[in-house]
Amino acid sequence: MKAEISRRRFLQGSVALSIAGGVSMSPSAIMASASASTKPEDIGKTKKVATLCEMCVNKCAAFAYVKNGIVTKLDPNPYFPKSRNMLCPRGNSGLAAIYDVDRLKYPLIRDGEKGSGKFKRATWDEAYSYISEKLTKILDEEKDNRSTVAFCAGEGMAEHTFKNFYTGFGSAHFLNHASLCLATTVSGYSLTIGGYGQADLENADYVVMAGANRAEAIVTPDSMDFFKRTTGRGAKLVVVDPRFTNTAAKSDKWLGINVGTDLAFVLALTYVVIKEDIYNKEFVENHFNDFATYKKHVLQNEYTPEWAEKITGIKAEDIYQVARDFMHHAPQSIYYQGRRTTWSKNDFQLRRAQAIFSALGGGIDIKGGICFGKSIAMEGHEVSAPIYDQAKSRIDAKEAAVVGGSGTWVGFRNMVLEGRNPYPIRALFNYKHNPMANMPNSAKTEAFLKKLDLVVTIDTMPSDTVMLSDVILPECTYLERTDPAKVYGGIEPAIVQRNKVVEPMYESKPVIEIMRGLSKKVSKPLFEITKKYDEEVQDTIEEDGEEATYEEFDLTKAFEESQEDLNHHAVAKYAGAAESLHAKGVFYPNMDKYFKKLNVNEYEYYPESKKYYSVMNKKFKTPSGKIECNLSSLTKRGIDAMPTWKKEYEIAVPDGQFRFITGRHAQFTQSGSSNNKMLLDLVPTNYMWINKRVASRMGIKFGDEVEVASKVGKTTIKAYPTEKIGLDTIFFIHGFGNKSQELTLASGNGGNDANIIEDSIEPMHGATCLHDTIVEIRKV
Amino acid sequence: MARYGMALDYKSCINCRACESACKAENGVLPGRDNYRIWVGQKEAEGEFPNISIASMTYHPSQCQHCDNAPCQQVCPTNATYYDDNGVVRVDIEKCILCTYCINACPYDARYVDDRTVTVDKCNFCSDTRLANGETTTACQATCPTKVRTFGDLDDPNSDISQLIAKREYKQVKEHLGTKPKLFYLL
Amino acid sequence: MNNFSIKNLFEFNKTPLNLLVAVLGIVLLGAFLAGAAYYILHGHHAFNVTRQHPWGLLIAMYVFFVVSSTGLCIISSIGHVFGVEEFQQIGKRAIAGAIITLLSGFAVIALEVGHPVTMIIYNVLTPGFTSAIWWMGTLYGIYLVFITIEFFFLTIKVDHKWSKIFGIGGLLSGLAAHSNLGAVFGFLISRPTANGVFYPVYFILSAMITGCYLLYIIYGFKYRNDYPEQLKAMFLKLNKILGMLLGILIFFEAWKIITALYGTMPERAETILHVISSPTFIFGEVLLGMLIPFAIILFTNGQAIKPMVYASLTGMIGIFFMRYDLVHDTLIYPMTMLKRSEYQLPPTFLEYFPSATEFAIGFGGIGITIFLFYVAEKVFNLDPDREH
Repeated sequence: MKAEISRRRFLQGSVALSIAGGVSMSPSAIMASASASTKPEDIGKTKKVATLCEMCVNKCAAFAYVKNGIVTKLDPNPYFPKSRNMLCPRGNSGLAAIYDVDRLKYPLIRDGEKGSGKFKRATWDEAYSYISEKLTKILDEEKDNRSTVAFCAGEGMAEHTFKNFYTGFGSAHFLNHASLCLATTVSGYSLTIGGYGQADLENADYVVMAGANRAEAIVTPDSMDFFKRTTGRGAKLVVVDPRFTNTAAKSDKWLGINVGTDLAFVLALTYVVIKEDIYNKEFVENHFNDFATYKKHVLQNEYTPEWAEKITGIKAEDIYQVARDFMHHAPQSIYYQGRRTTWSKNDFQLRRAQAIFSALGGGIDIKGGICFGKSIAMEGHEVSAPIYDQAKSRIDAKEAAVVGGSGTWVGFRNMVLEGRNPYPIRALFNYKHNPMANMPNSAKTEAFLKKLDLVVTIDTMPSDTVMLSDVILPECTYLERTDPAKVYGGIEPAIVQRNKVVEPMYESKPVIEIMRGLSKKVSKPLFEITKKYDEEVQDTIEEDGEEATYEEFDLTKAFEESQEDLNHHAVAKYAGAAESLHAKGVFYPNMDKYFKKLNVNEYEYYPESKKYYSVMNKKFKTPSGKIECNLSSLTKRGIDAMPTWKKEYEIAVPDGQFRFITGRHAQFTQSGSSNNKMLLDLVPTNYMWINKRVASRMGIKFGDEVEVASKVGKTTIKAYPTEKIGLDTIFFIHGFGNKSQELTLASGNGGNDANIIEDSIEPMHGATCLHDTIVEIRKV
Repeated sequence: MARYGMALDYKSCINCRACESACKAENGVLPGRDNYRIWVGQKEAEGEFPNISIASMTYHPSQCQHCDNAPCQQVCPTNATYYDDNGVVRVDIEKCILCTYCINACPYDARYVDDRTVTVDKCNFCSDTRLANGETTTACQATCPTKVRTFGDLDDPNSDISQLIAKREYKQVKEHLGTKPKLFYLL
Repeated sequence: MNNFSIKNLFEFNKTPLNLLVAVLGIVLLGAFLAGAAYYILHGHHAFNVTRQHPWGLLIAMYVFFVVSSTGLCIISSIGHVFGVEEFQQIGKRAIAGAIITLLSGFAVIALEVGHPVTMIIYNVLTPGFTSAIWWMGTLYGIYLVFITIEFFFLTIKVDHKWSKIFGIGGLLSGLAAHSNLGAVFGFLISRPTANGVFYPVYFILSAMITGCYLLYIIYGFKYRNDYPEQLKAMFLKLNKILGMLLGILIFFEAWKIITALYGTMPERAETILHVISSPTFIFGEVLLGMLIPFAIILFTNGQAIKPMVYASLTGMIGIFFMRYDLVHDTLIYPMTMLKRSEYQLPPTFLEYFPSATEFAIGFGGIGITIFLFYVAEKVFNLDPDREH
């Protein structure tokens, strides 16, 4: 659910919380069966509950089988168009997540030096009280500057609930994974073609996947749709990657590119199609803004394939061929957008260049191209967003050209560490986020977390970040909670809902209950601080009385209703939606008519004629309504108006050293599953890819322990010599090498990429450059 | 009564190994190096960077081939390995003496010792876990992201699998041994 | 039967060699019991066998023991079944040896088969007639009955007619059982190096060689190279028989290798090439098991007896390696050459080395043999009857 947050001044009289839609049927009655504990008559019977996976970001629909109160199996749920009808290895391994013996079981309060790993068990009330006392003290000392408390969250369906707390709290600092992940690609595509969009891989004829590894870093429905059509079965695939990935194994052509040189490759492709005049003229003429300037820019700079060959290591003839083939199949040709894309300093420009090149074929908002699709309207609920006069603005706003609502995590952290913050940053609320593992330079992250007076972490597992917290609040896993219903727009939109499968284990709670308890404890004391320092509030109290004024600042209101009720209200206008969301986990208008089984494996969600391939009517969501080639407004922020290759992008790898790249396997994508027994059974640890010939020269054999060291840190890992990687590159997957002693299986298992990646950021959004690190290796 | 088999559109396999974890969860297969009913095979990449042979990197989802003429069944001294009514090659744990002769005899490395029952275990097309509960798919088929597997009745000409192998060419593994496998790798 | 008491069980001539064998027997027996205890606690996890290499040292030792049993039975049958005079004197001791080595083999296999009791029940209730193991097991059971009764008629209730009848039965069931044991490997269509006619025939041939070696060792130990004349006569014949058998074995082996290598048939040729370049084959099987005894027979024109006793010791070590390699070589080529995970080396020839428990149980079986032989020598009169 997307909340409509009203940012109204309380002086203008705002409503604290309003829930739209009537209550037609008691949601608690509908939900009763899902949340009830085992009744005697149910013993031995198997119950099937519709849930949504949370092992990664895709939110695949699943059915959980429950017997005697125990989740016995997770099966794919075929009703969700986005996830089709599947569960990947991570999805299957949710069983090992809920029944992980190392789970956080009770609230804990630090009881020793920070980082010592010593905690004492507390009741929820003790934990809330502890937080309340600390917060009150900090805010009193900071004179109600709410921004002294930062909030960060990992991606997840309940991130929204946590964010409601942040909104009510009134800090300027929210930080999430965007600047460590896909900020540049989302904005690169949005500013160029009007949206990140959805690549229609079910119908595309020609796809270039550069860096995107859809056979391993599974994204729904892309991965499922596409690999049924590759290898001579309808779709041509070109993979551009410094590694020979499982995706490359499915390609028609694999181009092993030099790390960080993709922009040169795309510019050369653009050069070829312009020079040879093979782009989609009709589309460019009607739907491009300022193409002439871009054309001139590309031609004058002579971004020829021959030029690009020297930089990228890709043969000029291959570049010519890809450019021509792409246009031959256009508009059913896609230069795939990619995710987790902050690789290098030029990343924003790279995504712009990709978007423009893709658009040159006309494959935008069209079947087989990049589509924007449709959403389904849900009733939102308003959450009060009080304005605190003493709350100062973001400290990291100037760290990059455009710093959005989720900040630049690395920029923010480094400012605090380097003392460049204009006012103290003293506390951090962290929901389900593990910056120790996912932010480059974990030594700095550790120092940052230690520097803070109060770190409150809500999580399910004792991650490295959790171990550096002051208060740990155990969240239940996704199988133990109902989360906000959410719309997944696209070619085949649907609303989905995660239903509680079993009762939370131990003393863990869903985040909405944690927020409810916490807000009850802190709301009043925090208001007292505001009263003390906020003159506007003092004025209002004089005018309206204290009680009326407090209404606006009452943090508890956002969490009064149960998640089940909130979800029910959100879809109240659709008949049968709440019931469908409960029973099937999925709803979309006309689902009962449209949903059809095609064969034992496949389902049809929307009839072909009802799919939302083209929705924009050729009016794109850019300032000019056209494809933007030349964003001249960015120049005054120091950002190139057009994608331009610069000499500084060419990072030479000194002899005997390597450029480090990171990535995913289908079994491990998130650091959160590093202790998962079922996944570790498939891949027991991560290995460092090193070229076989180089390894043999260095005397490194398979399984040898090697130390990988960069300027910022080092890590130890086993070697995997392979020809699937270039001579000057090394690679290992993310999420391993945890320090936390509380993770029985993950502790000290494998190499940690966050230890060695340097913490430089790119200029547009301050997103991290994950692939700009040079490392040395030695056998240990 | 049916004759169950499985067609594998193996070129769709992305080697994510969801089938392995689904199988383990469904059938209670214990973790461990030797404990698996199904697996995905792959070759070592051929060629030198950047000239890697794409063709050398196909993935081969594998499991018991449910041979019509199963070597494992022939060699079993106590008939613990048997064909059930649906032609599925299964192990009767009451009769298994754990001589492991069948493990030696299987040309496909499809058998292993289950530490729960201390008898030989293998893929049984989820006969006792899913089919017995009225499901019509195996765990590996149901979970597969790219829908590699199609399980069904080879005796029913209208079944999806019969239609598939009637329409498309396929190869079989080690069929020269006369095992008559019921797994069909679609080309 | 001899006069027998617990007291005289511990009375023996305490020569250094006797003491050595006594200590060896006790150590091996202890090892067997310790190995058995460890196995009962940990099951097959106490062994280094894996999914890809499910059989190991214990199967090899089982074959070793039953090959010894069959060999002794066949060689002794030369005398009391086929009536060759010189061989009649060894009859009782050879049959006692056949029973003892078979029991030792059964003791070892009982700790290899996971559920021996289930085996006995379902061998009868739901017999697997297409299974070479079923035939082998059942026939060895029958064989044991035959030779036990034969032994009864040889030593306790001496009756040459009946001993001959049961001797023939024992010989036939032994031959059938043992060639079926060869077929356990020969029937494996999945294993090109084992599959075919070779093993069932080879098993009988190598059994006879084993029988010869064992007779040298048993009588060599008993008479300390100071043989009565009639025994010398037997040994001279045995020399010739063994020489011929070894010649045939070398001939068989050579052709097996040549045909396996010729044309480089996949799996078979590379496996055999790997096998013949391994030290256990070159030094164990060929040098110790075949060439040393064969050379002695050849260069002494079959006249040497004392050297043959020592050559039989190397021969039996060779025979052990033949059994060990037989199991290992059959399984050495993986059934799938694909990697099952990104992070592993490509599959190659499988490696196997027995665990301490396997060594304890497998070689501990020899302790059982020594112990039972000692008891048998005490209890029964295994020498030829005077009237003979």
